[in-house]
Amino acid sequence: MAAKHDSVARTLIVALLVCLVCGVVVATAAVMLRPVQEKNKLLDKQVNILQAAGLYTAGMDVQNAFKSIDRKFVDLASGEYVDMPSSYDQRKAAKDPERSERLDGKVDIASIKRQANVAEVYLANDENGELSKIILPIHGYGLWSTLYGFLALEPDADTVAGLGFYEHAETPGLGGEVDNPKWKALWPGKEVFNDEGDVAIQVIKGTVDSGAADAAYKVDGLAGASLTTNGVNNLVRYWVGENGFGPYLDKIHASAQVEAPAADTTESAPAEGEEVNNG
Amino acid sequence: MADNMKPKELLFGPILDNNPIALQIIGICSALAVTSNLNTTVTMALALTLVTAFSNFFVSSIRNQIPSSIRIIVQMTIIASLVIVVDQFLRAYAYSISKQLSVFVGLIITNCIVMGRAEAFAMKSPPIPSFIDGIGNGLGYSFILIILGFTRELLGAGSLFGIPVLSKVTDGGWYIPNGLMLLPPSAFFLIGFIIWGIRAVKKTQVEKDSFTPAAHTRASEAF
Amino acid sequence: MGMRQILDTKVAPHFHEGGKFEKFYTFYEMFDTMLYSPSSVTRSAAHVRDGIDLKRVMMTVWFATFPAILFGLYNTGYQANMQITEFGYQAIPGWRADIVALLTGFDSGNVLANFLHGAVYYVPIMVTVYLGGFIWEGLFAWKRGHEINEGFFVTGILFTLILPPAIPLWQVFLGISFGVIIGKEVFGGTGKNFLNPALVGRAFLYFAYPAQMSGDAVWTAVDSFSGATPLSLAAAGAIDYSAGLTGAAFTSGSVDLSWMSTAMGGIQGCIGETSTIAIALGAIFLLFTKIASWRIMLSVILGTVFMSSIFNAIGSESNPMFAMPWYWHLTIGGLAFGLVYMATDPVSASMTNTGKWVFGIVIGVMTVLIRVVNPAFPEGIMLAILFGNLCAPLIDYFVMRANIRRRLRRSGGAV
Repeated sequence: MAAKHDSVARTLIVALLVCLVCGVVVATAAVMLRPVQEKNKLLDKQVNILQAAGLYTAGMDVQNAFKSIDRKFVDLASGEYVDMPSSYDQRKAAKDPERSERLDGKVDIASIKRQANVAEVYLANDENGELSKIILPIHGYGLWSTLYGFLALEPDADTVAGLGFYEHAETPGLGGEVDNPKWKALWPGKEVFNDEGDVAIQVIKGTVDSGAADAAYKVDGLAGASLTTNGVNNLVRYWVGENGFGPYLDKIHASAQVEAPAADTTESAPAEGEEVNNG
Repeated sequence: MADNMKPKELLFGPILDNNPIALQIIGICSALAVTSNLNTTVTMALALTLVTAFSNFFVSSIRNQIPSSIRIIVQMTIIASLVIVVDQFLRAYAYSISKQLSVFVGLIITNCIVMGRAEAFAMKSPPIPSFIDGIGNGLGYSFILIILGFTRELLGAGSLFGIPVLSKVTDGGWYIPNGLMLLPPSAFFLIGFIIWGIRAVKKTQVEKDSFTPAAHTRASEAF
Repeated sequence: MGMRQILDTKVAPHFHEGGKFEKFYTFYEMFDTMLYSPSSVTRSAAHVRDGIDLKRVMMTVWFATFPAILFGLYNTGYQANMQITEFGYQAIPGWRADIVALLTGFDSGNVLANFLHGAVYYVPIMVTVYLGGFIWEGLFAWKRGHEINEGFFVTGILFTLILPPAIPLWQVFLGISFGVIIGKEVFGGTGKNFLNPALVGRAFLYFAYPAQMSGDAVWTAVDSFSGATPLSLAAAGAIDYSAGLTGAAFTSGSVDLSWMSTAMGGIQGCIGETSTIAIALGAIFLLFTKIASWRIMLSVILGTVFMSSIFNAIGSESNPMFAMPWYWHLTIGGLAFGLVYMATDPVSASMTNTGKWVFGIVIGVMTVLIRVVNPAFPEGIMLAILFGNLCAPLIDYFVMRANIRRRLRRSGGAV
């Protein structure tokens, strides 16, 4: 390089020009692409929700399907619906001390440390406009990572319609089997609450004895992955429990009991479970 | 440097004869991190090839204007801008892949191949050969990455591009996936095997012993 | 004409330079020296004359594993037969079950039946290991033009003994192939491997096929059986350490466990790892013949005692492994086997005497650390020894530097 390039003024000018050009290029790209990015991000989340609810088929029109799904916000402590701006991000809120609560170690079985005060729920409606699925976002710690997913319930707020995780980093082949369709197919039809209204659903180690009286509350564990199994068990029990969506689900129970006698749920549960499998 | 090299050599030389990963052993980090399936592998290979080619091109275009005292920073700025643009495009048009690649697209900035080619080649050569050199080195990188991605996804998950090829035991088939292949260390072993293979054929790439003990040396004297 | 003469006059010339089968000298030499002592022996005066060479060392280690092999054979069969006789499980269907049913039946009271049921699992694994090893060792020796090293005899037997009995044979083959190629041959073969090849093979299988190498379902060769090993029972907090050495520390339908039973080895586990007593017999033999380093064995035990005492003192409400005393650490899992046969491998361990102490303590400490603190790996000895192997050259380097400095100081030279 010739020495004339190295004067201070020239150095500053080149640096400035390079920064300017690069800055413009980067800013343009970011601004121009923002709308597409937002759309894709939303689409990704919607696919996850549909998959958890067992409503997803490959190649379907996700946006159209999502027209029949309402996004609502629930105040977890009271179980009441609240209004929130549609940009509300539950994950970000969980990190914000003003909008979340630190969990005591004994309560925090899912090891999530902090919990947002307001949670999203997704309510899916069938063709007649009646509630068909309640989809709850859940997360908790497994062996290596926090698992993020959705738990879908039937309108009785008791029977499981589906479970799916969209983000985790568990051991491939062991804990990673939470993504296995065969294992996920064990969930639909299981019941979350027992007759006394307590949380009864459980992921057990090993295989469920299908003849046992409490088989409806139990799900097979993942073979060789007892810690991920424990993690899933804890996080599901946490989110349907009193510190999670418990108060909200109780409200739905109460309103459902007014409309229909409770005995109805056990009969309809297997049929709905089948439907989900076919879907 | 560029004067005595034909475009063909610039383009295909880095694939076997002067491969950035297998001979120069650079760019290993991302080769371990993104090759557990072919979707991310191909995306990463493409991203790196584009970034290397265009950073080479732009650096070379202004090579006579860059003061040598700030040349590394200027190169970095150009590379970083290109990487951000690529990252933005991926987020817009391949969201799920960009989510899987996470920080590794951003880390192309620190990939030695890009920086190395800008400093070693583009600063001394005209734009067009620099561009071709960038493509060539990108191809060399891609060549290794795609072998890794192919082997790892096929053996580790029984699929290619996410499409099941070997039917897995968990889905009622016969293939028991090799979990090690999905973990980053497997890429080390595979890269080792590839280097072994290349050097078995191209003996000139075998490194010389750093020293040889003279005959009849006692072990204690060799240190 | 004796056999030696036949070999020398009729057979050997074909394999020597210029002979018809020159290329296959490697294989000829292997069988010849297996039958007789090597044809080229040291003659000049500069060397210590001793009957011991690599082959004898390896044979001695091989011999030292016999108690573990015999007990492993018996226990593999006993565990399976016990589940079948007492708890109504079925043997895994296939030719193995057919042979046992035909010859002895599945009576856990019948010693012969136990040995046979163990053998139908052990022998195929061993044959596969030796076949795999022979193919790779032979191929490398042939391509590189040297003789096949006997080191593989020991690697093969050790690899067999650290596998669960019901492992599929193709995995055994893959494991030993990886162990021999990556653990040894790529670094130049016997004597140049800085890792223990048997452990490299096992580590490969452990990470590649965790479902067949860990968990509760793989340790007893009966159909759809699942039962926790003492280590996972301990991790679950089911073992009562206050029961004393012979008292029942854990009782459940199929298991009745005391410290004594874990030392005897009538428990689930890898084929050769369960009986600490059988392993101790091998250890005594190895120490008596001065093949294995007593420094390494002792220091691994010291490291284990040290680390587990620290954990005992700290205590933990949520992690029951903290409370496990050192003598339990020694008898359950593969620690005893690892410290006697694996850590003492002369090639991959530290060479210097001081270094051996450090090496052993590192392994002992790491084993307990992994067992107690890491939630994902119930067993720590395999990774601890591999870690120790990696550190060994570094340890030796510092020991040698320290030695050089000391001698310089003594002689008054500049440091």
